[in-house]
Amino acid sequence: MRYIFKFPDIGEGLEEGKIIEWYVEKGQSIASGDPLVKMETDKVVTDIPSPKGGIIAQRFGVPGETVKVGSALVEIDIEGLEGVQAQEQAKTEPAKATETQVEEKGFGVVGTIEVAGDGSYLPAGTEGLVQRDTLSEKSRKVLATPVARAMARELGLDINLIAGSGPAGRVTTKDVEKHRHHPMPAKSEQNLVQMAENEIVPISQIRKTIAKNMLRSKHNAAHMSVMDEVEVSRLVEFRKAINDNPEGIKLSYLPFIIKAVAIALKSHPVMNAELDLDNERIIYKKAINIGLAMDTEDGLVVPVIRNADQKSLSQLAREISNLAEKARERKLNLSDLKDGTFSITSYGSIGGYFAVPVINYPQSAILGIGRIADKPVIKDNAVVPGKVMPISMSVDHRIVDGGEVARFLNEVLSMLKEPLLIWAKEGGEA
Amino acid sequence: MFNQDSLDKHRALDNRMFQLLSEDGKPLEKGWKPSLSNEEIVQAYKDLLFERTADLMAVSYQRQGRMFTYPPNLGQEAIHIATGMVIKEEDWLVPAFRELGAWLAKGVSLREIFLYFKGNEEGSHFTQANRMLPVSVPIASQLVHAAGLGYAMNYNSEKAAVFAFVGDGGTSEGDFHEALNFAAVWNVPVIFVVQNNQFAISVPMSMQTKSVNIAVKGLAYNVPSVLVDGNDLFAMHEVLSFARAQAMEGKGPFLIEARTFRMGAHTTSDDPTRYRTREEEEHWAAKDPLKRLKSFIEANNLFDLSQEDELVAEYKKQIDSSFEAAEQHPEYKLDDVFAYMYSDMPDELKRQKNIYENYLNQSGGAK
Repeated sequence: MRYIFKFPDIGEGLEEGKIIEWYVEKGQSIASGDPLVKMETDKVVTDIPSPKGGIIAQRFGVPGETVKVGSALVEIDIEGLEGVQAQEQAKTEPAKATETQVEEKGFGVVGTIEVAGDGSYLPAGTEGLVQRDTLSEKSRKVLATPVARAMARELGLDINLIAGSGPAGRVTTKDVEKHRHHPMPAKSEQNLVQMAENEIVPISQIRKTIAKNMLRSKHNAAHMSVMDEVEVSRLVEFRKAINDNPEGIKLSYLPFIIKAVAIALKSHPVMNAELDLDNERIIYKKAINIGLAMDTEDGLVVPVIRNADQKSLSQLAREISNLAEKARERKLNLSDLKDGTFSITSYGSIGGYFAVPVINYPQSAILGIGRIADKPVIKDNAVVPGKVMPISMSVDHRIVDGGEVARFLNEVLSMLKEPLLIWAKEGGEA
Repeated sequence: MFNQDSLDKHRALDNRMFQLLSEDGKPLEKGWKPSLSNEEIVQAYKDLLFERTADLMAVSYQRQGRMFTYPPNLGQEAIHIATGMVIKEEDWLVPAFRELGAWLAKGVSLREIFLYFKGNEEGSHFTQANRMLPVSVPIASQLVHAAGLGYAMNYNSEKAAVFAFVGDGGTSEGDFHEALNFAAVWNVPVIFVVQNNQFAISVPMSMQTKSVNIAVKGLAYNVPSVLVDGNDLFAMHEVLSFARAQAMEGKGPFLIEARTFRMGAHTTSDDPTRYRTREEEEHWAAKDPLKRLKSFIEANNLFDLSQEDELVAEYKKQIDSSFEAAEQHPEYKLDDVFAYMYSDMPDELKRQKNIYENYLNQSGGAK
């Protein structure tokens, strides 16, 4: 049978640990007490021994990765179940039990993750094991007194569907009797019904992080959004001229946007700040580190370009593609993801005109860029074809006032409308 | 045999340590013969080996997440085994928390010890150990109880002794001084054993006291005190035997500073590499009490050491089954946490119980 060993709290109140080194490989045979992995925690660096003997079916996590207490470390194929025990297992466990065990992908994670560990306390008996460690509800073997089991068999009832009232939920003869007269679905039966219709998949660590961060932002920041459009024909030409130049520089619009934002942030420091309400203060960030929201197969990640104000357009372009590749290959590490002071989401690269972006809390603002559209614009009292870029911006209204957003946006948009202004303003106060 | 003369010669103020065997297990004095029989020596070795095996496995269980916390005994076992050999059924054992071998000798089962460190209060109920107080986590508070036990013995005219343990850190607590003073003034039969393992968690001796050693602190209260090599089983056995004999003669308390080294961590939540050097660890590894006794046994051909692997394998099985028995022990009832202190539960306690019950219900009964 499969046994999942979760990272235990080995230090009286630990939350997480870092994997230093694995001592076992997938497929390796181990004895109980053998060291599995070396972990670094707040308190100690120590080897974690295996509580069970068997064969390593799966390892979770790579060296350098932080593992929450209660998260799976290894899955062990436990040997030595035979005779009656094995038959019981065969009866109660679906043949493809492992299918329901979805592997958590190793991933460089955004910030801290909270995993609801369901206790690091491991059961010693096989009964407890079956109950705790098989993810599929279907395979749960109900605890019952032998008499109750026999009674249910005689009556042709499935004992697994009877709610137990005895110690640790054991099904007693009384429960069988009761169920016979008033069949009440046990909890596991309700789940079974659901299981038949829906696919139930445990969520990944990255999804947990996203969910937590989004909620945190929506709970804590007073979101306020502003939308605007800017005519960017000059920028389109400008970019084309650079990209067509034999120099070989290839730019998307993003470096221009980052540049414009970085310049404007200098004259609007509150947009590059954080409200620390607990200590009744505002923290103005010295560095301008721009987070870029990126869509990956696993979910949203926001890697950061550090000191964006000090970088050239081509430098920014290189860093963007660098981070995008790392994100695709799941190679982002914590240093790529932390210390952002302002975020940009260019959702338009996939689709969408206006949006209401969620602030990357505790930052105070996020700029959203929609898809550039060919639209009629009025120039010198005439309707002419134009290139229109939609802009959506959300700020934390607790510290950023409406007037300040408008002034900030005006400055950014003026640079996007006339990219020469970027050069005019770069490197100094506007 | 250690006697009054030896005590006079090993003056604590001169910082002279009583020791019989060298690090490599050779008698320091030519012609010295142990006062223990060969059988007793071999049994002591086996007991020490058992304590060490159980101790290492306990750390492993904790690392597997099967036990909450544990204070390792590694390196200090000779003190415990020697105490186990000297202490009598009618004597009291007053533990701190790092005397595994002495507890076992007193009749505590490994199952109970594991249960205790798994967080179950029932683990403090030593069903087979006569006259032993529960493990004392607050530092040095147990010494006052020990002095009180000694006073009760005198009052009842009992002919027995109290063996009370404390660590070097505990000697900086007021309770240590109160207990010593009380014990001396009332002339109670209490043997204070200070396991000086050099560190009070991370605080080294040099930051703990300006005294030349801990034994001199006993002298201040006019308690006969001696510094002993705690990694030397024979030395410990002789001094403990002498101290008990003194107590039986009505000569009152005695203090032994057992100089040793904790080769493991303070508890499983501690990382000693942060406050001590590898050199220091290696220096003390050479003084390992198990190694020293083994060398003596080997040199004198007392026991076929080729049996050792088999012995350890047998111990491991036994320890494993004790641990599994502890794991199978039913969980304590919620009521047990709140009941017993008062005949009628006060409102505040009722409120706390209610909060806890709600918490358990909300979290689906998970603890």
